Amino acid sequence: MSDKKLITVVDDDPDLVEAVCMKLESKNYRVEKAYDGEEALEKVRAEKPDLLILDVMMPRKNGWVVCEELKNDDTLKDIIVVMLTAVGDAVQSTSYTHHEGKTTLADDYIPKPIDMDKLMEIVDDHLGG
Amino acid sequence: MNENNKHTNDLSSKQPENKSDNFVKESMEEIPFQPRALVVDDEERIRDSCERMLEEDGFGVSCAKNGEEGLRIIEETHYDIVLLDLMMAGLSGFDVLARIKSLHPDSVVIVITGYATIEHSIEAMKKGAFDFLSKPFSPQDLRRVVRKAIEFIRTLQDIATEKSRMRVLVNLLTDGVMTTDNKKNVALANPVFLKMIRCTQTNVQGYKVEQVVDNPKLLDMIDQAVDQPADSFAEIAEEIVVDGDKESEEAILGAKCIPFRDRLGRKLGTVTVLNDITALKKLDQVKSDFVSMVAHEIKGPLNSVLMLLDNVKSGLAGDMNDKQTEILERVSDRIHSLTSLSAELLDLAKIESGLINQEKEELDLCELAAAQTELYQDKAAANNISLDFAGERTRVPVMGNLTNLEEVIANLVSNAISYTPENGRIRVSACLEGDYAVLKVSDTGYGIPPEEQDRIFQRFCRVKNEQTRFISGTGLGLAIVKSIVEAHEGLIQVDSKPGEGTVFRVYLPRSAG
Repeated sequence: MSDKKLITVVDDDPDLVEAVCMKLESKNYRVEKAYDGEEALEKVRAEKPDLLILDVMMPRKNGWVVCEELKNDDTLKDIIVVMLTAVGDAVQSTSYTHHEGKTTLADDYIPKPIDMDKLMEIVDDHLGG
Repeated sequence: MNENNKHTNDLSSKQPENKSDNFVKESMEEIPFQPRALVVDDEERIRDSCERMLEEDGFGVSCAKNGEEGLRIIEETHYDIVLLDLMMAGLSGFDVLARIKSLHPDSVVIVITGYATIEHSIEAMKKGAFDFLSKPFSPQDLRRVVRKAIEFIRTLQDIATEKSRMRVLVNLLTDGVMTTDNKKNVALANPVFLKMIRCTQTNVQGYKVEQVVDNPKLLDMIDQAVDQPADSFAEIAEEIVVDGDKESEEAILGAKCIPFRDRLGRKLGTVTVLNDITALKKLDQVKSDFVSMVAHEIKGPLNSVLMLLDNVKSGLAGDMNDKQTEILERVSDRIHSLTSLSAELLDLAKIESGLINQEKEELDLCELAAAQTELYQDKAAANNISLDFAGERTRVPVMGNLTNLEEVIANLVSNAISYTPENGRIRVSACLEGDYAVLKVSDTGYGIPPEEQDRIFQRFCRVKNEQTRFISGTGLGLAIVKSIVEAHEGLIQVDSKPGEGTVFRVYLPRSAG
């Protein structure tokens, strides 16, 4: 079953991770779970997933920092990063400036609370599913 | 005078007891101490008769037979009334008068002049005498003059008592108080006031208000109060911020300024009252922060739970039977209402902490109202209610925050739908009325009982009776509406009759455009 795409879901809320993973698995993706920034980096380095769903506000390295480290690493920079943000500013570009003035290299974003159908659309779009 | 002359010689004779004329004794009851009189005259006959009469009327009386003796007595004791002969051998009455006035400015001096020398009397009045008696005079003449003097003394006493009462009262207040005259000279400022505005001077009476107060906003308020037209009596109220100094931290003060006028409406000056609301403001901020923190912490987990429930409902965790689906629907509904409660709490906290005033633009209230009416068509139709935009489609310009004003209209319309039974009718309109843009939402719903109409804008207030018991809501909608309207310098009114329906009117200042 290794032709299934691997997605790592990172959030400090285990219920949110569980809900998203359940849905992704039902759409025939493989999933990996992480609950903070450091754990996310470890798992990404070990598993090299195709896509990362990444929360911003987390203990031990926030999402912005994790994203920056990945995008600055030549071996990992092709992993697609979708940020989960609590602010719903409609920013569509792949390299967008957050409302606090932070620029991120993330590939996409989805605001919280998560619209599950919309998230699936985004994931399918990026992974060509 | 002539008529009285024939009585002159009666002065030394025994007076018939005349109760109604015994004025001082009567008034003694109101004056809490015995008034003292000094008679300075070189004629023994006059001294004696004056003494007798004044004693009869309740005075404590002393006598002096010349100016020198009079002065000695005056140096030692204060007298309320001094009867003073102007023409005496040795020290003249004028010298004694001058000394009395410098020692005891409040002593009332009545000069006695011989041979009706009007010039001398006038001279004495100019030098501070209260009145004069021309020799020869009758007991009635004396009583009349003394009576006038007593009234005068009593008035002075009243004023002094009132002044001291007021000073003690004002100094006791924990609010800052300052009064000015209509030329903005400080008449009175209590220590609390001076401390609140960080003024280091202690006695500011007579100072220009600008020399005492350096807060521009407060000075502006006093200007406004002074400049108010004669027919208006508006209280000017603002919040002002004073910077911290060595002793105190920055403070937020509630300031009120009111003009005061005399009986004829002439401007007399202003009264300013300051009230330290720093602690209240801080507490309010803590409350808002707490509410938004709690709301935020609740919202996240509830949304996760909702997502899990959706997964289960859509069969991702195995097939569901009808009963299970139905139960999970109900669970979802309840959690949804909790998430909307926390969203509204967040809204309210945001509005209260002033975020609402950030982005205002010129908007067309008519267009907004029509758009929101359109948005709620489905919900109205589902409840069998007709919802129409009823007003004319003319531009109604207001300066406002788009999201906030949309929320106002949405809340009012959605409330109307919730509280209107089937086959009801809701009309929305917007128009200009003078300086105001007016939004009107009227329904043919259950109505609001009169006793509840004051409460409906309070947080968590929900009117529940047999008809409305099953309507769900957070009780925050109208509180949010009111906060938004007030943050836009507007006001909201409700007009409702139970069983007939409700009309909400929102007045917002129209913009120039």
